[in-house]
Amino acid sequence: MSILKLDKVTKRFGGLVAVDNVSMEIQQGEILGLIGPNGAGKTTLTNLISGVHMVSEGKIIFDGIDITFLPAHKRCNLGIARTFQIARPLKNLTVVENIMVGGLFGNGEKLKESKKSALMLCETIGLEEPDQTLDKITVLDIKKIEIARAMATKPKILFLDEVMSGLNMDETREMIDTVRKIRGTGVTICIIEHVMSVIREITERVIVLDRGTILAEGPYSEVSQQHNVITAYLGEDA
Amino acid sequence: MESISFMRKHRNLFLLIAVIVVVAIWKPHAAIYGLQRGSLYSLVGLPLSLTLGVVGIMNLAHGDFLSLGIYFVYLFATNLGMDPLVSIIPVFFLLFGLGVVIYKLTITRVMKSGHLNQLLLTFGISMILLEAMNVIWTSRPRSVYVEYSSSSTTIAGVRFGTYELLYVVFAFAVLIALQLFLKKTRLGQATFAVGQNPQGAKIVGINTGFVYLFVFGISIAILGIAAGVMVPRFAIFPSVGSAFTMKSFCLVAMAGLGNLTGILVSGIVLGVGEAIVQSIPGYAGWSDIVFFGVLIAVIMIRSLRRQSL
Amino acid sequence: MKITKSLVIIMLLIAAALLPVVTEAYFISVAITILTFMTLSISWDMMLRTGQLSFGTAGFFGLGGYTGIIAVADFGVDPLVGIILGGLLAGGVSLLLGMAILRLRGLYFAITTMALASVFMVIIRNLNKLTGGPSGKIVYTTLFNYDSVKVYWLMLGITVGTIVVSEVFQRTRVHFAIDSIRADETVAKSHGVNIYKYLIFVFVVTSIIQGVIGSTYALQYGFVYPESSFSAHYLLLPIAMALVGGIYSTIGPVLGAIILGLSSEYLKLIMPYGHLIIYGVIIVVVVLFLPNGVYGAIKDVTGFRKRRLEER
Repeated sequence: MSILKLDKVTKRFGGLVAVDNVSMEIQQGEILGLIGPNGAGKTTLTNLISGVHMVSEGKIIFDGIDITFLPAHKRCNLGIARTFQIARPLKNLTVVENIMVGGLFGNGEKLKESKKSALMLCETIGLEEPDQTLDKITVLDIKKIEIARAMATKPKILFLDEVMSGLNMDETREMIDTVRKIRGTGVTICIIEHVMSVIREITERVIVLDRGTILAEGPYSEVSQQHNVITAYLGEDA
Repeated sequence: MESISFMRKHRNLFLLIAVIVVVAIWKPHAAIYGLQRGSLYSLVGLPLSLTLGVVGIMNLAHGDFLSLGIYFVYLFATNLGMDPLVSIIPVFFLLFGLGVVIYKLTITRVMKSGHLNQLLLTFGISMILLEAMNVIWTSRPRSVYVEYSSSSTTIAGVRFGTYELLYVVFAFAVLIALQLFLKKTRLGQATFAVGQNPQGAKIVGINTGFVYLFVFGISIAILGIAAGVMVPRFAIFPSVGSAFTMKSFCLVAMAGLGNLTGILVSGIVLGVGEAIVQSIPGYAGWSDIVFFGVLIAVIMIRSLRRQSL
Repeated sequence: MKITKSLVIIMLLIAAALLPVVTEAYFISVAITILTFMTLSISWDMMLRTGQLSFGTAGFFGLGGYTGIIAVADFGVDPLVGIILGGLLAGGVSLLLGMAILRLRGLYFAITTMALASVFMVIIRNLNKLTGGPSGKIVYTTLFNYDSVKVYWLMLGITVGTIVVSEVFQRTRVHFAIDSIRADETVAKSHGVNIYKYLIFVFVVTSIIQGVIGSTYALQYGFVYPESSFSAHYLLLPIAMALVGGIYSTIGPVLGAIILGLSSEYLKLIMPYGHLIIYGVIIVVVVLFLPNGVYGAIKDVTGFRKRRLEER
């Protein structure tokens, strides 16, 4: 059953076409990989879906509702969550407070409730000092905060934008397990990545984007053999 | 800094000419007066557009530097008997020096601190200037009398002041000079580049720090030109320039960043708008808030189009 | 720890309330002035916490003043009602204005609020019959009929009320909304925060406070006059006080108001003209060198000492 549908979505920034006539569907409960060379439009697509940008043309339907013109905060309330490619922790709040923002406003929780759920999320995801301020925090912890904060909004679909970058092998393994755990709770996941080993391992299907258009769709094993995909990635190691 | 705003250059000018013609037929005095007054707004607005577009900061003390320039012109006139227009030359360089010094001492430090700090800083500078002028010269209005400043002529039965045509002349002259500077000189091209893309400019070796310094200095200096041409026709008091800060910002909002010609057009539109309101019997006093209405309108239109500066 | 904190606060409140009993008229009027600026400063800081810089304090202050005086003079209401009306009108105007400009906020918001005082002044000068035009308006029914002790207690009440509102904003979900908006609007809205709604809410609340203080101030003396009711004083000093005391907090503006309020009384004696330049200099110096103000500096020092103790 499709949870998210993009219908001929285009996004122009002045003269630049970042996303060009993209139509795609995401099935409920799947782990979809969104891959493509740098500048292909993957993050722009995520921004269009989460509401950071508005489409220039086309329609976006989420869970049966036309969200094309809905503002970002309403889309979050409907169940769309995402992390940011360059992590954006809220520097004036502590770890647990960062996560609480998601629960308070993404899921409409009350203060005490959201603190409890935020602390639980900290435990699940492995954040050991919830009351810590953010001035001396590790890269891995920042990513965990991003994910926990997005999860606090109790989303139906979660977009993970390059969460694996900058992690060592153990940390990557931990993150892969976390992603699987999240899908296990019923959340559909769309993972944008450059680390192909991760894509190969956890996704059931990938969509390849290049210069704003869809190049290929299908299981990674098939798509990675396609000639046009390899050419688009010339120089990328798999 | 975009080189094209949401109103394209030529369409701008044609619209403007059309508007002026219409107003000239309906209320000829308002058309002339609006053209003159509006050009003055443009003259003061151009340097603000430069600062905002290239250096990226909003100088809340803009109007107060204008007031200061006006007092400098006053001093040259009363102590050295210099004609205000002639004193533009020394005041220009004085203000340039002052701008450079203030930039070096204060503004450089907040270039990386975010907009809040920059606004608070220039606000503080504005208050210091305003109060200093109040202390030194008090709020008692002064004036400089120059005989040719009250000349007037009559064309087609409409009588208007001829001195104020200088506003138009200077506004166009400064606009053309700036365009030439930006296109034909090395420093100007560097300035344009910094306005477009400061990081990129740095990478290709442009000394952005120097460009910021120079542009800030020049924008204050240009206020000296406006000061010189204003003195014969304006009462001189410390807050004479304050209103120009907000009206200049209104022009920048109307024209969009980086659109210098647009400033000229917008200034004249604002001037004509004010003049029309002023000619309505009983509502003359409301002309001072025309700019506010325009500003709100611009903000609402832009937010509908989801556009910012 | 919590019990001692509450005790201290209660004792301070009692001391403040008893002030007029132990001092004389001059000090009471200084205290009233400090409280006036303190409330303006706290309300300015409350808006600043959202990441938006408002220059409208003088505008809403004067608007409140005019509303109060006009209500008492032309409509015969009791001064206390006039105060409430002052707040309501300021709130109404800020609601309309906020809806128009807060979608674009940032620089547009700052400059538009800066223009408010002048715009109100022009309107007031033109609506002669209602407002008395350029010569101002006088009313002979003043607040408590010039009884400065009662005025002081009212001001104290309003100030305490403002402090309470400010602290409520710091301790409820509003705090999370405001801080996340200030830190990163994209993140805030991606996590369900309705930025526009919260900005308007804070803007209206702070404008109401400024309107209430404005009408209280005007009705003490019984007159309004364009240049003095909208004076830049009511913008410059609150900002300087919040910066000195420490922005993004309630205690910062409170401290700043007491420090600058007291020193300004002293300054006025030695420097009858131009002591306002000092406030401009204070703003410039604090922005350049001490952006966290006195409260921030104290926090840094005590934080530093606490960490040092833990390290041992």
